[in-house]
Amino acid sequence: MDLNQALEQIGKAPTLEHLQALKVQYLGKNGQITQALKSLGQLPPEARRERGQELNTWKKALEEALQTREKELRQEALKAQLERETLDVSLPGYAFPAGGLHLTSLILGELVNLFRRLGFSVVEGPEVESEFFNFDALNMPEWHPARDMQDTFWVDLKPPFTLQGPLGETVNDLGGAVLRTHTSGMQIRYMIQHTPPFRIVVPGRVFRYEQTDASHEAMFYQLEGLVVGPNITMADLKGAIHELARGLFGKEGKARFQPTYFPFVEPGAQFAMWWPERGKWLELGGAGMVHPYLFRAVDDYRARQGLPRVYEGMTGWAFGMGVERLAILRYGIPDIRYFYQNRLSFLRQFR
Amino acid sequence: MKIVYSWLQEFLPEAPAPQRLEELLAGLGLETESIQTLPAPHPQVVFARVLAIEPLPGRQVRKLILDIGQEVAVVSGAPNARAGIGVALALPGAVLPDGSKLEERRIAGVASWGMALSPKELALGEYAGGLIELPPEALPPGTPLAEVWGPETVLEVEITPNRPDWLSVYGVARDLAATGLTLVSPNAKPQTRSLPLPFGAWIEDPQACDRFTLSYARGLRVGPSPLWVQRRLFAAGMRPISNVVDATNYTMLELGNPMHAFDARYIREGLVVRRAQPGERLRTLDGQERVLSPEDLLIAVKEGSQSRPAGLAGIMGGADDEIREDTTAIALEVAHFDPVRIRQSAKRHGLKTEASYRFERGVDPDGQHRAADRCLALLQDWAGSGVEVATERIDLNHTQPPQAIPFRPTYTSRLMGMDYPEAEQLGILQRLGCAVAPGPQSGVYLVTPPRHRVDLAIEEDLVEEVARIVGYDQIPTTLPSFFPHPDNLEVEAPYQALERLKQVMAGLGFQEVINYAWSSPEECALLRAPAPTIYMQNPQTPERTALRTALYPGLLRNLQTALAQGEEGPFLLFEVGHVFQAQETPHLAALLSGEAIPGRWQPGLAGGFFALKGLLEAAAAHLGSTLWVEAEATPHLHPGVSGAVYWNQRKVGYIGALHPAIRQALELPPVFLWEVSLPLPSGAKGFRDVARYPAAMRDLAVVVPEKIPYLEVERLIREKAGPYLEQLLVFDVYQGPPLPSGHKSLAFHLRFRHPERTLTDLEVDGFIQQVVDGLEQKGYSIRR
Repeated sequence: MDLNQALEQIGKAPTLEHLQALKVQYLGKNGQITQALKSLGQLPPEARRERGQELNTWKKALEEALQTREKELRQEALKAQLERETLDVSLPGYAFPAGGLHLTSLILGELVNLFRRLGFSVVEGPEVESEFFNFDALNMPEWHPARDMQDTFWVDLKPPFTLQGPLGETVNDLGGAVLRTHTSGMQIRYMIQHTPPFRIVVPGRVFRYEQTDASHEAMFYQLEGLVVGPNITMADLKGAIHELARGLFGKEGKARFQPTYFPFVEPGAQFAMWWPERGKWLELGGAGMVHPYLFRAVDDYRARQGLPRVYEGMTGWAFGMGVERLAILRYGIPDIRYFYQNRLSFLRQFR
Repeated sequence: MKIVYSWLQEFLPEAPAPQRLEELLAGLGLETESIQTLPAPHPQVVFARVLAIEPLPGRQVRKLILDIGQEVAVVSGAPNARAGIGVALALPGAVLPDGSKLEERRIAGVASWGMALSPKELALGEYAGGLIELPPEALPPGTPLAEVWGPETVLEVEITPNRPDWLSVYGVARDLAATGLTLVSPNAKPQTRSLPLPFGAWIEDPQACDRFTLSYARGLRVGPSPLWVQRRLFAAGMRPISNVVDATNYTMLELGNPMHAFDARYIREGLVVRRAQPGERLRTLDGQERVLSPEDLLIAVKEGSQSRPAGLAGIMGGADDEIREDTTAIALEVAHFDPVRIRQSAKRHGLKTEASYRFERGVDPDGQHRAADRCLALLQDWAGSGVEVATERIDLNHTQPPQAIPFRPTYTSRLMGMDYPEAEQLGILQRLGCAVAPGPQSGVYLVTPPRHRVDLAIEEDLVEEVARIVGYDQIPTTLPSFFPHPDNLEVEAPYQALERLKQVMAGLGFQEVINYAWSSPEECALLRAPAPTIYMQNPQTPERTALRTALYPGLLRNLQTALAQGEEGPFLLFEVGHVFQAQETPHLAALLSGEAIPGRWQPGLAGGFFALKGLLEAAAAHLGSTLWVEAEATPHLHPGVSGAVYWNQRKVGYIGALHPAIRQALELPPVFLWEVSLPLPSGAKGFRDVARYPAAMRDLAVVVPEKIPYLEVERLIREKAGPYLEQLLVFDVYQGPPLPSGHKSLAFHLRFRHPERTLTDLEVDGFIQQVVDGLEQKGYSIRR
């Protein structure tokens, strides 16, 4: 055999398959070199050694050539594969739908998380509410002028619908029923259910019988807060709202309190937060110390249900704030009606 | 309520400038909505006296001959123009509030030298139905009105319902004075003389009317009020009527006691305060004929044993007894009524007046004499020189003295979280008009609030007074720190589950929407949702007469809107919200319409039932829950593509294709829906060791009649395969040759694994044989 010819064949082998064939031809079990090596024994010892050395040199050379060529071919193959597999990565991908939460949920999430940091628990209440929990127990009896502050949707309460009280009892007979005008009814429900001290916030939708326009909706969300314990003070209320302001508006955030009136708190306050970006105060909600009337109403209710009176001597504070207003101010949304029209091109802007 | 700044200054000479005043009021709890300036009239607007009126034949308008230092003629259509009254005349060159400039013009053939003005054209109010009427001798004719009507600052404030004592200029001044400003008291007294009272007064219902005073004055000349009074009333938002009526209104605005002047001619024996009888009628001052009921409290004119309604007490007087041009003697009623009575009556008649507004919140039950004195003194000023006021006044008084409130200054400090010195607290209460006396033990005081503070009833009310006057800005900020009582510890779980669920849905590609809670029986019927159980008593629109019984109607509306507005699909929407059937329950609903994963320029993943179901399965997997669906029809879904959803073994709702009939009615493309009630039952969590020994794989194809649901076959295999079946996956569903018609083949991968050792082939073959036997017993065949 001609080594040089063999080496040339190897060096020019066009594919791995050809190369494999050549390897078999020369170095395989029945390959030329293998055969020649096997037949060495038939040679005289001297010739044998010489021939042996030559064959081994050839074998080595062939092996090296095969290896080199294999590497080359593999590289070429890889290169070809890479070229073959090349994509226009600038084309768009599959349009996996990107979901998202409603803007109101996002804002509520932000708010409740700020309160969770302060040790508050988040609970919810019903939207159809008994007149008792929405008004009477909150120190707003029938014919109280404060009822005028909230234009109310009244609903017919009749079988088969059952309105459940805080302890699972039916409360269809506690006066009329309304779409709750505020989340404050949950103050009563929660207090009836639980023993102080506690800290809760209550997000939820509320309803007002109002003509809708850019700044009024018949349905919107509130966040209610309630803290009750043996020594809860108005300073605590200011502290929590102040901390909320810092959470929402950063280190320059702060809160301002002014006296106002809600029947279910005394002393009562409204609060505003400083918006550093715009350099102005934003009126965000109402607050105050829980009116003792509420504690009495709750204890009376508990007593009627066979529970101990646990609110005598307690103090507490509550606050309530609008949720949409915060988003409206922050994002410059011109019309509150955008929220519940659910236009996707609006909702998809907030994720 | 509007507060005229110059009026406030009369009682509070040290009142700070309006901007600072706004801050001060806010600190007291009185919010200012706006501060506006009522500008002086244009210099070319002058006082004029009407000398004569000449009709212009064939015209509606008339020619007025006016004295403005010289005689001029103008044309006017005002019905109230008459000789002898004073008017405001805009001369050529004057600019009116609407910006127009007056020029000399010929109207109806007359050279009109300007324009006689209505209150609206003077920017004083909305009234444009006639000329402003001024006293004829008010000013030398031709004097620019700007000389007496300078600019006025007016604060519009919002009065909270608990503070009726703020519903007057003096009331606001009195509260401001508690911060340390000097207060001028209003104690005007009329000149009185002894006159026999020509009438009496009786209260039939002392519950509803606990105070009734009636004063007598005669010798009045009814006419327009002085210039400054008219301007002030306009600035405060009231329209001047005549000096007598204006005096009552002026006093109410100033002192807060509504009052009513009756023409004494019609009063006969006197006035009775009584409930109305059913069906009694009264024509009120606004010209409305009102049918009365026993809810209404009346002022009635006594006529023998009968009495005739003359006014709705505390709300509005009757038209028959009103003050007229020829009235010369009046009975002036200043009373106090039960707020609830007034409120019910006013609400029943849909009447809200300045008087009812005050009475239903609570008027000072002790301010009647001061207010009557003030009003009568004004009348002596404004209604001619011959006004005689009777010294005697009827005063029927059933009011109860105010209760003292036990007050502990230490409680203020405890409730507010800061130390207020005791002396400072008592001083503040005294400045607010409270009487402070030592209480039964040390540290407790008996505080009697002034009569005008109807809101002060409990100790906390007094705490607020102290904190308010010191200023809420002085209260420190702390954080409430305590360990909650143990029964509050797990209350958050439901809300956390809800948040998690919403996050998962959003993560799977669904956009959350929030729809209104309303629906209507019509919509429920059209969309085959359960009929409403809760109806609105006062629905806002016909589409909102009831509360929703399911969420999917809202999602379908959203889809309709999105399609109509050309929003970009595909549409994957979800909502979490309350629905109202036999109870109020939270639901989760989701909608899929369009491809599940559009490929854009390459084939995408089609939507359809199995796309939505796959997403539901993914949601369950995210939440560590098991899920299956069993065919079950429900009205709003396609009967062949709908099933009950079982979440952790419990039926929670439905999934399927929207019923084609609904789809066609709404003109929608294919829509797939699922709706489940919340909370979803949670799955068990626990540790199972990760696999250490190899698994054994087997494949199995079963031929079953096509009506047999997959789930039935899956359950049978699981049951027979024994405890080491780790996973069962269907990888092919086939129908067609060579299978017999009406049959389908379901092909499964089965994976077996033992936790503690390697299963032998023999063992696994045994498991498979059990499965095969089970299937064959059922009559199914194995496809080999």
